[in-house]
Amino acid sequence: MTILGLNPDELAGCVGCGLCLPHCPTYRVTGLESASPRGRINAMRAVEGGAPISSEFTAILEACIQCRGCETACPSSVQYGHMAETAMVAIATRRPITRRVFDRILYRHVLPKHYVLLLGTWALVVAQRLHIVPKRFGVPPISTSSLRRSLSSDAFPTVFLYTGCVMDAWQRDVHRAAMKVMRAMGASVGLPGHGGSCCGALHVHAGRRSDAQRLAVAVVASMPGEIPVVVDSAGCGAALKDYGRLLGTPEAIAFSARVRDFTEWVVETGLPKMLSSNKTVVVQDPCHLRHVQHAETSVRTALSASYRLLETDDDALCCGAGGIYSITHPEIARQVRDRKVAAIRAAAGSDEVTVASANPGCAMFLSAAGLDVRHPAELLAAVIEEDNE
Amino acid sequence: MGRGRVRAEPLELILYQSDAGTARGQASVVCFPESIDDLSFAIRAANRHCVSFVARGSGTGLAGGATPVANSLVIVMTRMNRILEVDPVGRVAWVEPGVLNLDLTRSVRHLGLHYAPDPSSQQACTIGGNVGTNAGGPHCLSAGVTSAHVLAADVVLGNGDIVRLGGLEPDAIGYDLRGCFVGSEGTMGIAGSIAVRLTPDPPETRTLLADFTSVDAAAETVSGIIAEGIVPAALEMMDAPITRLVEEFVGAGYPLDAEAVLLIEVTGLIGGVDAEVDAIRRVALERGARQVKVAITEQDRMLLWKGRKSAFGAIAKVAPDYYLHDIVVPRTRLVEVLKRVYEIADEQNLLVMNVFHAGDGNLHPLFVFDGSEPGIWERVYAAGDGIIQACLDAGGVLSGEHGIGLEKRDYMSLAYSAEDLDAQARLRDAFDPDGFANPEKILPTGSRCGEMKRAPEGTWV
Ligand SMILES: Cc1cc2nc3c(=O)[nH]c(=O)nc-3n(C[C@H](O)[C@H](O)[C@H](O)COP(=O)(O)OP(=O)(O)OC[C@H]3O[C@@H](n4cnc5c(N)ncnc54)[C@H](O)[C@@H]3O)c2cc1C
Ligand code: SF4
Ligand code: SF4
Repeated sequence: MTILGLNPDELAGCVGCGLCLPHCPTYRVTGLESASPRGRINAMRAVEGGAPISSEFTAILEACIQCRGCETACPSSVQYGHMAETAMVAIATRRPITRRVFDRILYRHVLPKHYVLLLGTWALVVAQRLHIVPKRFGVPPISTSSLRRSLSSDAFPTVFLYTGCVMDAWQRDVHRAAMKVMRAMGASVGLPGHGGSCCGALHVHAGRRSDAQRLAVAVVASMPGEIPVVVDSAGCGAALKDYGRLLGTPEAIAFSARVRDFTEWVVETGLPKMLSSNKTVVVQDPCHLRHVQHAETSVRTALSASYRLLETDDDALCCGAGGIYSITHPEIARQVRDRKVAAIRAAAGSDEVTVASANPGCAMFLSAAGLDVRHPAELLAAVIEEDNE
Repeated sequence: MGRGRVRAEPLELILYQSDAGTARGQASVVCFPESIDDLSFAIRAANRHCVSFVARGSGTGLAGGATPVANSLVIVMTRMNRILEVDPVGRVAWVEPGVLNLDLTRSVRHLGLHYAPDPSSQQACTIGGNVGTNAGGPHCLSAGVTSAHVLAADVVLGNGDIVRLGGLEPDAIGYDLRGCFVGSEGTMGIAGSIAVRLTPDPPETRTLLADFTSVDAAAETVSGIIAEGIVPAALEMMDAPITRLVEEFVGAGYPLDAEAVLLIEVTGLIGGVDAEVDAIRRVALERGARQVKVAITEQDRMLLWKGRKSAFGAIAKVAPDYYLHDIVVPRTRLVEVLKRVYEIADEQNLLVMNVFHAGDGNLHPLFVFDGSEPGIWERVYAAGDGIIQACLDAGGVLSGEHGIGLEKRDYMSLAYSAEDLDAQARLRDAFDPDGFANPEKILPTGSRCGEMKRAPEGTWV
């Protein structure tokens, strides 16, 4: 076993050509080799070759947003994400004790326990009303009326909608919109049973693989049967689709095969009847939709039936949100977002613009920069409306 | 220079020990100037401490040009990445050296202009690095390489002085020092801002893909097209193994069973390009092409080019290490030299792939191997020596576009006489008398007596 436990062949896969550099958001804003995919891979190589797991090494890997833009760009198909996640496991076990306690509370007792998260969210709502939440955290105003009403599941579901942890607490209206569209398309929508409230994506990124595995088992068990599992958060969807690899069991592999991003499911099922809208929409590709799920075309197919779509000319570079990255690395995240906002404004020209984003993290972070950001489910729900009510 | 702009953490230094080539060195300090004054300041500071320095753009160079030797200070240009001025009428842009090649083209696209030199690494490499290596690219066949597109540069010399080389006026008097500087790989100083020529987008473009069952037939088609009086905008060749690799990555429709393919682009006015397409098709079919396809949509065209431009990066799927050569031979000798390349690979029992700018005879034999295999590097070097010899025998030159750097330095005395090398050394001294700027690159150690030596122990991996 090597120090970081990396597969030597995977590590050797990088030839150092540098073609990934411009596709890396952190390299783009810092210009540092140590903030680039090639640099991070070389740093992992150095550690496997005997260099210490120093605070410098930890900082280099933690500054990665884990957007996986480098994987799509790499002609040698280097599996950067997998290597970084593995290296993070080694880092997580070597953290100072205070940090380990904090992480344990966050990852074991807040995110996976839905009532704790909801309780925390109410506390946040109060704090927001008192104006004591720092703006740079980019937390959107949370609607209390939405939080008060819970979602209801249909009898004899033909499809599950995965609701998740933070998203269910902060963006429940998106789930409502998704359910509305799905029902209009003739589906009966089921919700996950007990224990399936957190997908574990944040845990994987933080190097807490065994926590993530436990959560994955619970999520799989919470949505039994063979019907499709629809996910309206790109980050959670990517995690659910990766359970096959994370758990390696036949059940997990079968489960992952059932998972669809919301727009993937809509396109596969056949677009519903929609009115046309005069809105101009700039599509933002959440990294885990584009680089991990490779589902960026279905968003466009679903929306282009009603909206005029515009594209950014920035190779779909990350927006900087990255799970909790915008809180742990606010400065880099803000610079990355500035680039994104500029690209969106350039694409829109003088038009009033709405941004479509299929990931709640990106949506919140971009809204905090003053953009009008909507989930594709909300945009679809808006154009099927009159037809069905 | 301020916090965060000078760095020397141990791991970070390791990350700057090489470019995309194989030579490795050791940096003492890394710094990130944000203006030409910063740059001059850094160079003067290095002078004071008697430390040599080396410029680095994106580190995609393949000849070890940006590899620090002698514990150099590495001066990274990535933060000098502003486009300073665009004159759409005069078709000139002033840019800082850290601007990425493709970013420049993107930023002037709405004006119907582009920056013509398009190395395959154009998405990642910097204009400064392109000037350093006098980079070429597929479309340089008709447009000319970097030197033809650089009008002027503000350069910081080895002692920290800032001078302007060249100018925007077409007929400057005196020596063309700009011409000397372009391609000097940072040994004559570092460009702090660069004036480049912008080229109008062609009205029409056609991209053709011709596939062949033999490498010879493809190579003969190359000569045939030129003999027909056509100068395509680009004329690229890929052999079977590399074609299969890139197809796997891009799915552009490259034939998986061809022995060689030619990617040909013609540009111009509508009538003209169609006539050229017909002529090329005829020439290729006469020489045994199985098929000549014309890309229909812009997306097909982009995919074909994406494939070609990903070729070097894609080889890790076969083996973890590569050694990429860069030689130029007269087009008439292409078939013969190419044969010799395959023979040399066979002799050394190495896998070779060929993907290159066929139109200007610029070959890129690419050896793909696993560097941890015992004795492999000796075979790779032996094959390299053989290829260089074959190239020089055929009347070719040592480098088409990647530069000499460390990689080819010791071959210089095969190509030039002692007098020639001495003259070059004196030219270099005129720019940098104290030898601070990127030492040990391009010219062999002790070039003045014309001796030949391998790179210093430990420089090679
Ligand atoms: C996949 C791949 C494909 C490639 N395809 C091509 C190709 O088609 N054609 C081609 O020509 N090359 C090609 N290259 C090689 C490489 O991309 C070019 O040599 C490029 O010009 C290097 O740019 P860079 O910014 O990476 O410079 P670096 O590698 O960082 O530096 C290159 C040299 O320029 C010097 N330099 C850097 N900045 C400055 C400056 N501001 N002033 C003076 N000197 C400076 C450096 O000291 C060094 O000697 C390819 C490389 C790769 C990995
Ligand atoms: S990760 Fe891929 S693209 Fe990036 S340097 Fe390595 S081989 Fe090249
Ligand atoms: S995952 Fe994203 S941030 Fe991390 S190295 Fe790759 S491109 Fe950069």
